[in-house]
Amino acid sequence: MATDPAAVPGTEFSPGLPVGLASDEGEAPPGIGPYQLAWRRLRRNRVALAFGGLFLLMVVLCLLAPVYAHDIAHTGPNDPHITDVIKINGKPTNVVSTLGIPIGPTWHGRFFLGADATGRDIAVRLLYGGRNSLQIGAEATLLTILLATIFGIIAGYFRGVADGLISRAFDLIWAYPVYLLGIALGVSLQVGGLDLGLFKIQGNTLILTALIIGFIYVPYVGKPVRGQVLGLREREFIDAARQQGLGSLRIMFGELLPNVASTIIVFIPLILANAVLTEAGLSFLGAGVHDPNPSWGTMITDGIKLVPGAIHLVLVPGLMLVLTVLGINVFGDGVRDALDPRAKVRIEH
Amino acid sequence: MARFAVRRLASMVAVMFAISILTFLLFQVLPNSDPSTRLAGRTASPTQIAKIRSDWGFDKPIYVQYIKTMGKILNGTVTSYQQQLPVEDQIRQDLPTTLSLAIGAGVIWLALGILFGVLSAWRAGRWLDRGLTVLSLVGVSMPVFFLGAVLSYYIGDKARILPAGDYVALTSDPWQWFKHMLMPWFALSVLFIGVYSRILRSTILDTINDDYVRTARAKGLSERQVMIRHVLRNSLIPIVSLWGLDFASVLGGGAILTETVFNLHGVGQYAAQSVEGLDIPPVLVITMFGAFAVVLLSAVVDIVYAALDPRIRL
Amino acid sequence: MQRSFRLLSALLVALGSMVVVAACGSSSSTGSGAGKTGGSVTVVQGTAPDYFDPSLSYTTQGANWGWISYLGLYTYAHAEGTAGTQLIPAIATSQPVISNSGKTYTITIRHGLKYSNGMAVKASDFTFSVERAIKLNWGGASFVTNNVVGATAFSKGAKSISGITADNAAGKIVIHLMRPYGALENVLAFPAMGLLPPNTAMKNLSTSPPAGFGPYELKNVVPNVSYDVSLNPNYAGQAVPGVPAGHVNVHVKIETNTTTEASDVLNNSADVFDWGDTLPPALLSQIQSQSSDRYKAEQTALTLYFFLNTTEKPFNNPLARQAVIMALDRNALARLDSGNLTPDCYFLPALLVGHPTAPCPYGNPAAAPNLAAAKKLVAQAGLTGTPVTVWGQERSPRKEYVDYYASVLNSLGFKATTKIIASASYFPTIETLKLHPQTGFADWQQDFPNPIDFYLLLSKAALQPTGNQNFGEVSDPVIEKGLAKLSGVPSSQLSSVASQWQTLDEYVAKKAYVAVFGYEKTPKFTSNRINFGSLLFHPLYGNDWSSLQLK
Repeated sequence: MATDPAAVPGTEFSPGLPVGLASDEGEAPPGIGPYQLAWRRLRRNRVALAFGGLFLLMVVLCLLAPVYAHDIAHTGPNDPHITDVIKINGKPTNVVSTLGIPIGPTWHGRFFLGADATGRDIAVRLLYGGRNSLQIGAEATLLTILLATIFGIIAGYFRGVADGLISRAFDLIWAYPVYLLGIALGVSLQVGGLDLGLFKIQGNTLILTALIIGFIYVPYVGKPVRGQVLGLREREFIDAARQQGLGSLRIMFGELLPNVASTIIVFIPLILANAVLTEAGLSFLGAGVHDPNPSWGTMITDGIKLVPGAIHLVLVPGLMLVLTVLGINVFGDGVRDALDPRAKVRIEH
Repeated sequence: MARFAVRRLASMVAVMFAISILTFLLFQVLPNSDPSTRLAGRTASPTQIAKIRSDWGFDKPIYVQYIKTMGKILNGTVTSYQQQLPVEDQIRQDLPTTLSLAIGAGVIWLALGILFGVLSAWRAGRWLDRGLTVLSLVGVSMPVFFLGAVLSYYIGDKARILPAGDYVALTSDPWQWFKHMLMPWFALSVLFIGVYSRILRSTILDTINDDYVRTARAKGLSERQVMIRHVLRNSLIPIVSLWGLDFASVLGGGAILTETVFNLHGVGQYAAQSVEGLDIPPVLVITMFGAFAVVLLSAVVDIVYAALDPRIRL
Repeated sequence: MQRSFRLLSALLVALGSMVVVAACGSSSSTGSGAGKTGGSVTVVQGTAPDYFDPSLSYTTQGANWGWISYLGLYTYAHAEGTAGTQLIPAIATSQPVISNSGKTYTITIRHGLKYSNGMAVKASDFTFSVERAIKLNWGGASFVTNNVVGATAFSKGAKSISGITADNAAGKIVIHLMRPYGALENVLAFPAMGLLPPNTAMKNLSTSPPAGFGPYELKNVVPNVSYDVSLNPNYAGQAVPGVPAGHVNVHVKIETNTTTEASDVLNNSADVFDWGDTLPPALLSQIQSQSSDRYKAEQTALTLYFFLNTTEKPFNNPLARQAVIMALDRNALARLDSGNLTPDCYFLPALLVGHPTAPCPYGNPAAAPNLAAAKKLVAQAGLTGTPVTVWGQERSPRKEYVDYYASVLNSLGFKATTKIIASASYFPTIETLKLHPQTGFADWQQDFPNPIDFYLLLSKAALQPTGNQNFGEVSDPVIEKGLAKLSGVPSSQLSSVASQWQTLDEYVAKKAYVAVFGYEKTPKFTSNRINFGSLLFHPLYGNDWSSLQLK
């Protein structure tokens, strides 16, 4: 397959040039481990930390969704108030007009950011939606990293048949356009769910969407990991480990894993950002999260249907999504600069 | 070289077939995977459903169905389930739209990606670099359909500067074609510009310190010659290879979201609609076409790669 | 002129006569002096027709050109309201002669008609066209195979349909039915039963539609992009009474984005908004205030309802079903549908003969629901806490209906969860009998204006392992008895049994078998260029393109 730029083995930690927003730093002082060094570098990257903080803030906000719903908005994320009438400046107003146009932001506790076409509180759904989006993102990332690490290391370490099989499987998923595979899986698994024998995943659930996204991104991490392991297994310390009689499992996960860990760490924010974006994209195409569960993607999609009447229904979840992903990306960029392997991922729309 | 080409071709065919099998199986997972009930419509009688089942061969074992469908794909007679139209004709009809999108956006994102990357690297650590870094990261964090919807609303519906979506054939009115494509091009390019400028920036900064660049400087070449002949040339390698793949995937129906949000009847939208309608033949053909584009372009990229980088020999 | 025309048509319905309908049709073509003949208009359609082959097409988008380009033995009067549901002879000379048993229909066809390709129209072409529709698997083929002798055998491989004989010399067609089937004439009026020249290829001709007989011709098809429905220059000389020759050439553009579709018409860059599409709410208010002279919400015979499975807990209990019907706030559902819903409780829509006039048994559907009383019913039945899975379709606003419905069920004390399914696989999924879906969204749009078309959905005959349309698995001897009696009544005599249909529909409402929430309204919306007053809105086929005129 293609000479993937991501497959360039970057086994050594070169402090390199001042990259990104990081401040300059000289050669590493002796006796400090690469991770400590990276941490020091990251700590000085104020911008990266600030955006990391932004991301954390979003996470906290979304986790507080039930509190907001219960104490401020007094409504749940899926409670329709289609025929409700609320008072705005003492004037009774329909939450949803008889033509189906929802109210805009009231800037009060109830319907702070307005309602959607079903008369549900946007602000409440925004927070619950963020929870779902982030949950899917986190689960998908976990799955991607886990599978990619295991299969990447196995393929790189054993080479031969195992590598052939795993690499072809990677190629197969990789050659599929991301969203095409996503909607194909989303649509076909939606009804019946996924029956893996040992455990069964219901259709129309968040975890199913997370599994699909996680599965799609496996080769994007698996291929570079494999490439790196291929280089590492020829090195002396692996030979030494073999001569000491260590088993394959010990070598793979005791010796090789710590050496590819930095690559994997760099990929975590990248995959997380992409998983959150992919969830939104799949929901837009009707193959992601399904009503009544909110997610930022479904909220944007539902909003687009009401444009040009209510652009805020698109802007509000969209900006939340962009800010959150931006937070992940800038922070991730800082982490990469601190660790500095040349990690890239092929992204599509 | 010939052996390389043959090997490439063989792996390409293998991947395409594997993809077709995967796609075919994917739709068999459906609990009501038998398309005959969908084809028959809501007022069909059991005999009618049975007739459709046997007319289309849905009563045959799955591998027979697969082989038959593949046979039809290869001789160009495969039709969709929904409208029973020849799939290849439909793709041919949609391809100009997708090509317009891919070529225009591809040029934009490559040019701007390189420009921003070079500027960023040149001014590394200064304000311009910081500004461009933030900009590119914002671009990377932007879902294209969100950007597309917001652009269509503000530029298309509100300000009426550009038409929001739709496709006008280049052959019928080049100026209208350009105006209609401008927003989709931009929306699709934003993310790639972000990615490319970031990558180029870091590769340039890496290359500047490489040994051979130092050697070139020591040989007394001017800084400009060093930058262009050595640094930039080598730094462009990953960009070019990435561009080939991204271009291929957009061409092969990968720009589903852009095409959908701007209502461009391209290959991607055709794929999305077919998946939505559980219409297996078009999905099969498009995924194979997409994989073909990706694998073909990645082969081309390798050749360009070799031309750019004297250290690589095929 | 327009008003007197409608009045006249209404009169005709009462008389059940057909001779005058023909006269009426000719008056409509000379009427409406404001408009002119000639020119070209652009129709924008959000959904492309399923096929561009008359023998295959089975959607409203396809019927728009089908019923004016491919005339069959019978067609509908080009009129609005109930008058438009009247069947008139097209290629046939007169109404069929029906034997006393109700099982034999004898039809004579007009002499000397020519298809758009110049070939003469023959009686045997009818047999050919029916066979072609069956062979190509037309979606409505079961209307023929279930009723006409030998049609099922033909679909299974027999050489011809034994129950249809055609005598070209006499221009006579005889159709034998397995049992009396009153809606046969409606079936013959389907565009898919339009007569085609016998040399038409036995395959899907969507890219180059076949020749037919009618005021219009289907041409220049670019699938999913555009097509033309042009005036047939040869029609005027052989015009069928009641089927006007048309005024303008129609160019149809597919525009999948309804916002663009609507604003194109609003800005006069396109002329007619397809009646099958929904106006975006944001534009609807603008249209209603600024362009009310070219917009009207028209009633359609499309019933929206939630099916309630009468064999599964909790809806096998009549109290639970009644509670649902009582608790539904139809005004809320109307808002979800951008105000395009006419709230009601009866299965038969208002446009159809047999729609009851009695008040709804479980509260006025237009008023606020009685949630407290409904909740009490659920508690009384001891069903509080029963888990309910609500099935829904991905499409908007259908998924919103289901979201809302689930919240109503929850407030009644059930434990409802929704299961939203991709649009294309929704009906095939819930049509699987062994799934036994508890409740969910369903709709029915008339195939033809005869109550039997709706009541098939509540009959035992519909209960099939796949393709089951009786989602609620209703099996009631009263319905079966009523259907046995009413299904044989010919469409032309429907008005004589209207009260019996009403009684049956009231019974169904009383038994709470389906939770109907209303009937769909659709937009009749044109540009400024169109003579809005002369554009007919047909109860079955919507905007009648043959009545389109430029100002």
